[in-house]
Parts: sequence; structure tokens; C-alpha cells
Amino acid sequence: MKRSTSQVLFAGTLILLAAGLLILSQGGYLIPLQGLILRPLSGIQSWITLRVAATRDMLTSPRDVASLRGEISQLEAEVARLQQEIISLREHAAEVEILSALLDYARAQPESHYLATIVIGKDISPFLRSLWIGRGSDTGISRGMPVVTDRGLIGRVIEVFPTQARIQLITDPDAAVNVKFQVSRADGVLSAQLNGELWVDLIDQNATISQDELVLTSGLGGKYPIDIPVGQVLNIRRRDYELFQQAVIQPSVDFDDIEIVLVITNFRPLQIEQSTP
Amino acid sequence: MVYLIGVPLLALLAVFQSAILSHLNFLDGRPDLVLLAVVGWSLTGRTEEAMIWGVIGGLFLDLLSGLPFGSSAIILVLVALMVSLSEGRFWEAHLFMPLSVTLVASLIFYGLGMVTVLLIGRELDMSYALTRIVLPSTFLNLILALPASQLAAGLRDRIFPPEVEI
Repeated sequence: MKRSTSQVLFAGTLILLAAGLLILSQGGYLIPLQGLILRPLSGIQSWITLRVAATRDMLTSPRDVASLRGEISQLEAEVARLQQEIISLREHAAEVEILSALLDYARAQPESHYLATIVIGKDISPFLRSLWIGRGSDTGISRGMPVVTDRGLIGRVIEVFPTQARIQLITDPDAAVNVKFQVSRADGVLSAQLNGELWVDLIDQNATISQDELVLTSGLGGKYPIDIPVGQVLNIRRRDYELFQQAVIQPSVDFDDIEIVLVITNFRPLQIEQSTP
Repeated sequence: MVYLIGVPLLALLAVFQSAILSHLNFLDGRPDLVLLAVVGWSLTGRTEEAMIWGVIGGLFLDLLSGLPFGSSAIILVLVALMVSLSEGRFWEAHLFMPLSVTLVASLIFYGLGMVTVLLIGRELDMSYALTRIVLPSTFLNLILALPASQLAAGLRDRIFPPEVEI
């Protein structure tokens, strides 16, 4: 047999083997095996990520500057916390108005429980926008849990293994988040464009949205908790002949520089199944 | 022996790609170390081993990616097969051989990657993907092509020293 023919046959056999694995994985039969292989890999990944981050920090900042940077980051965290508090207070004020209009109806708002974890890598495929975090089902993380930073929402858990999990970022075109505008109270649906821009669509034409207005999760649909900051309005597109207006959003989180995230562990997303006729 | 070195090496390259190279973006592109390893080993003439490296490396990539498990393995076997058809061993000494093979291999790899993304029902902005991901990634792969092929040749000579007639 000619060498090239035997090579094609060999390649065909390997492709069949890989296709078999692909079918098995689509059926969910390989999840335990994937988890088993990922266990040591996630350890190595965390170790490398931490060492690289430490080396980068050491190389980029002299020692005295390092302490100042630490102080600045503490102050930044404090500012972020205070901003969060202002948002929450404004939200409460707006809510009080709504609630008094609804005859003192009180809504229970449970405290969120957070689990901090480091980001151990990005999706290897440059066509997908997701992150890997260094915690998985071993520490109670499950599919659908929202993920935030101190600046705002970054996405939700979409794949879980024992030691690591994959987060679908809100900048992924497949993600959709129900949001509301803080001042105008208009609702909309946030989705990422294929070029990575974030747009809020399906906004009522009568709503008056202003530039720099804060966009928060609305909690509609039950996928995300209410009142998590998402971003600010960059510009608004409103055309009289269209049913809805759109807004371009500047995300509150810098998605290129996420090192630690918080997973909201006590939030159970609603599983809405499609009804069959 | 070659798999004793190859399997951990491919695992490490996949982890490096996810943990470190993802921060070194050129536009939205990044070099693909596993692809370079498979192409480099194919160019040494050990095609069947390179195909197996393709399967193993592809599975490691798929473990750390949202793409279906096994899809990158299929693509990398096809890449290794394509390199074998170029008679890489014969032209190995030629400077442009690794460059031209890496160029074609990268375009096939990202092209089939985009097809996979479309097959799983996701939308893709072709012009954005080409200009911001495929071309920058291919450029970075080309920069690393020569060192990768030299390292692969060095590894081959260590594992399989050339026989010398006295």
C-alpha cells in the first residue's frame, strides 16, 4: 500500500475515534472522565496563573510603589463599595415610591452569599467569550449561578466540573440579560454584538433615557438577581419608525483584566422550560 | 517514549495557552501552541505520531474550551495529514517550508474552527473573525513557526538519534 494511502487511512481512523468521543461527550457520558482529567490540569493552571500574576506584579512595580498601589487598590475597593451603596440607596428610594404606590407591599430581598475564586484561564477558542474559574462542584458551584466582581455583573456559570467551572461572559453573543435603567426605570434586554459591543434592545420608545445612566439587572426571567450594575449608557439610538429604541452600553467591568470573581451561590436561577402544545 | 514526552507536553502547552497566552492578545488573536507542536512534529516526518499528537492535543484544547469535546482533535488530525502531504521531511531544511506550512495549517485550523462554531448554532461575524482573530493569530503563529520547527527537530534527534555508518 502506498504511504500516502496508509496515512489517509490512519488519519481516518483517528478522526472516527475523535468523532466517537464527540458523540459520547454530547450525550454527557464523558463528564466524569473530563472532570478527572481537569482535576490535575486545573491545579497546574491555577499555579501557573498565580505565579505569572506575581511575576508580572514584581516586574512592573518597584517595592515602594507596590505598597502605594496596595493602598490605592484598597481605596478603589472602598470607592466601589460606596458606589455600590449609593446605587443600593437610590434603588431603595425608587423602590419606596413604587412600594408605597402598591399599598405598602414589601418585597423580600435575600442577602446574597458570595464565593470568591480566581480566574485560571480564558476559553482557548478565540471565537468564544468565556472564562475558567478555579472552583467547581466540589465547592458547591452549580450551573446557572451568577458571577460578579466588585464593579458589576460579568456572567454566569454554564459548565461545571469538580474543580473548575466555565463562565459565559455577558459579552458573549449567546448571553442575554434582562436589564433596567436606574433613573428612567425602562426595561430592556442586554446582548452582545458579534464585535463585542454591548447593546440594550427592546426599550420602550416612550422611555426617556439619558447618557451615562446606570444599567442594572432587572431580575426578570429569573436568570440573574436584581440590581447588579451592568454598565452605563454610552449613546442611544432612537428612530421614530422603529418599535423600540436601543442603547449602547459601556460595561462597568473591564473584561480584559479580571483576576478574581465572586460567584453568588445562594441564587437559584429559574428553569423555564418550553411548553409543548 | 515519544508519547511519554508528548502527552504532558501537549497538556502543558494547552494550559499555557489558556492561562498565559490569553493575556497576550494581538487584536483578539493569540498564538496556538498545540497547533505549532503538531505542525512542528509533522515536519520532522513522523506523521503518524503527529496525528496522534493532534488527537491528544485537540482533546486537551477541547477540555479547556467551550467547543464540543473532540472537534479540535478532528481538525488537528486533518492539519497533520495536510502537512504530511506536503512532504515536509524532504523540504525540512528549507527556511520557508515551516512558514508556508504553518500559514496553510493556521488558515485550515481557524477556518474549520469557525465552521465548528457555526455548526453548534452560534453566530459569527465573518469579517470581524477574519480581521481581528484569524489573521492576527496566523501572524503570531508564523512568528513562532521557525523556533517551533527547530525545537521539534531537536526533540526528534534526541529521541531518535540519526544512525551513522562507520
